[in-house]
Amino acid sequence: MVPIQDYLKPEATLREAVNLLRVARKGKERQGVKGLPVLDRDGKVVGMLAMRDILKAVYPSYMSMMHLGDFAWDGMVESLAKQVGNDRVEAHMSRDVVTVRQDKPLMECVDHIVTHNVARLVVLDKTDKVVGMLYERDLFFSIVKAMLDENNRGGK
Amino acid sequence: MTPEAAAASNQVVMGASFWIATALFLLAYGLIVSEKIHKTIVAIFGAALMIVLGIVTQEDAFHSIDLGVDWNVIFLLVSMMIIINIMKPTGVFEYIAIKSAKAAKGKPFMIMVIFSVVTAVLSAFLDNVTTVLLIAPVTLLICQALELDVVPFLITEALASNIGGTATLIGDPPNIMIASRAHLDFMAFIYNLSPVIVVALIAYVITLKFIFGRRLTVKDELRQRVMAMDEREAIKDPRLLKKSLVVLAITITGFVLHGMLHLEPATIALFGAGLLLLVSGNKEPHRILAEAEWATLFFFVGLFIIIGGVVKVGLIRWMSVEVLKITQGNLLGTSMIVMWFSAFASAFIDNIPYVATMNPLIIDMAKQLWPNLSGLQLLHHPDLMPVWWSLALGACLGGNGTAIGASANVIIVGMAEKMGKPISFKKFMLYGMPLMIESVLICTVYVWLRYYVLKI
Repeated sequence: MVPIQDYLKPEATLREAVNLLRVARKGKERQGVKGLPVLDRDGKVVGMLAMRDILKAVYPSYMSMMHLGDFAWDGMVESLAKQVGNDRVEAHMSRDVVTVRQDKPLMECVDHIVTHNVARLVVLDKTDKVVGMLYERDLFFSIVKAMLDENNRGGK
Repeated sequence: MTPEAAAASNQVVMGASFWIATALFLLAYGLIVSEKIHKTIVAIFGAALMIVLGIVTQEDAFHSIDLGVDWNVIFLLVSMMIIINIMKPTGVFEYIAIKSAKAAKGKPFMIMVIFSVVTAVLSAFLDNVTTVLLIAPVTLLICQALELDVVPFLITEALASNIGGTATLIGDPPNIMIASRAHLDFMAFIYNLSPVIVVALIAYVITLKFIFGRRLTVKDELRQRVMAMDEREAIKDPRLLKKSLVVLAITITGFVLHGMLHLEPATIALFGAGLLLLVSGNKEPHRILAEAEWATLFFFVGLFIIIGGVVKVGLIRWMSVEVLKITQGNLLGTSMIVMWFSAFASAFIDNIPYVATMNPLIIDMAKQLWPNLSGLQLLHHPDLMPVWWSLALGACLGGNGTAIGASANVIIVGMAEKMGKPISFKKFMLYGMPLMIESVLICTVYVWLRYYVLKI
């Protein structure tokens, strides 16, 4: 799990949000993250904004209604990016956030990531307060460690 | 009810079942209009109640065209849905739309006109909702490329689809329903409705010229974006496309000839759908079938049974007696009232339940006017024909009056809202209502001139 100091507000603009995604703290450096939880004033998780949501924000829904991908033009993404910059985060975040309690076994995390087909989980403490993020790669490295280290007994 | 029995019982008995059925009917229509509960659920439950309460028997509901489901309508609709659902992934509709935008040389007003005409022509053969769902996404793309406000384009397409849909038997559900109950064939619609729809469409385009002709301009470099699109890239499956076009041609030929072949339109459509499923080599028919609009189809099923109930208890008979009292058997007056009343009724309520109610009402009226006739002699009485055409024209074109008048409008408004360009009820009406009145006026002159003056 990676503890987070940075999170998004639903009423923030997309422009502010992408900047935070770009410079969010991960480990020791501010090197950016692929997704951040969106918290309301009481600290409750209301959504998640990830890189994919930013791609979807500039992708007009009419493109997916028909097969129109072949008819795009240069500069289309850039001009739409300018248009959606002032949209609020809540208009583009994904609302079905998968959460897991801090004290749960690793398999529950694997289960959530596989069955919900998501790349990250929001980790909550006993009072439903957000304490961090669990990324797919964190689980991958736990599995790697178990496979390579014969003395490992499992667990976090 | 046989015509003889109908003629014998001119007096409506207003017993318990009359009031139960009437209350159910009014309640169901009220709920459909209020949109508090999804209309399909209202129709299914209302229909079930009609049978459970013994107003109609299950035999009536499932097997009588007068008191139950008109399977002609259901099978025609579902078969056309299957054909379109197989054709959609071929990319043919994207091809047509991109080609149209390029034919207009990327000039905005020409795009508006060509898209409206293409929408009208497609709507004459496909369901209107399907047509706007096919044309609107490309319109949004083209307007994005040209940096134009998409709203006028979307509204003009919705209106064009309702005008075009009026032209043929298969173009719009009211026509399908009228054709089935009045036993009118595909060519009868072509002879009687298509000419006036062509005129109405020309008038529509001229009106658009006055409204938008000067307002729409666009820079040359933006037009290049449209001209650079290669419509051939749209075609994803040329083999399936060829097969689909052949089957579609066979099906439309079948429609043209169905009167001569003594086959119902539903049979022709079912044949086309079955043939295309067969030749497309589809291994997963459940997908194609699942994409049919079952909510719409079951709305029809439920509605037919609810109407069957009020036909059986005599409410429709009572209404037709009242209508005849007003019109005094004057059929020119009846045609005109039917057309204008249908237009304004369809502008505010769904024209499907409206026509489902009007069909038996008109048949009943005919039975009172000509008690000695029955069958086709009654349904195709020369004096009754203009009334059928007036009903079709009024009910189909009336849909243009407001944003909720036709399902194509509802789809367009919903799509615009999703794109962050909401179209208010008032804004739609500002375009829709005058254009509806224009087209119904043209039809009024046409019906009067053709059937009452020239009598051809």
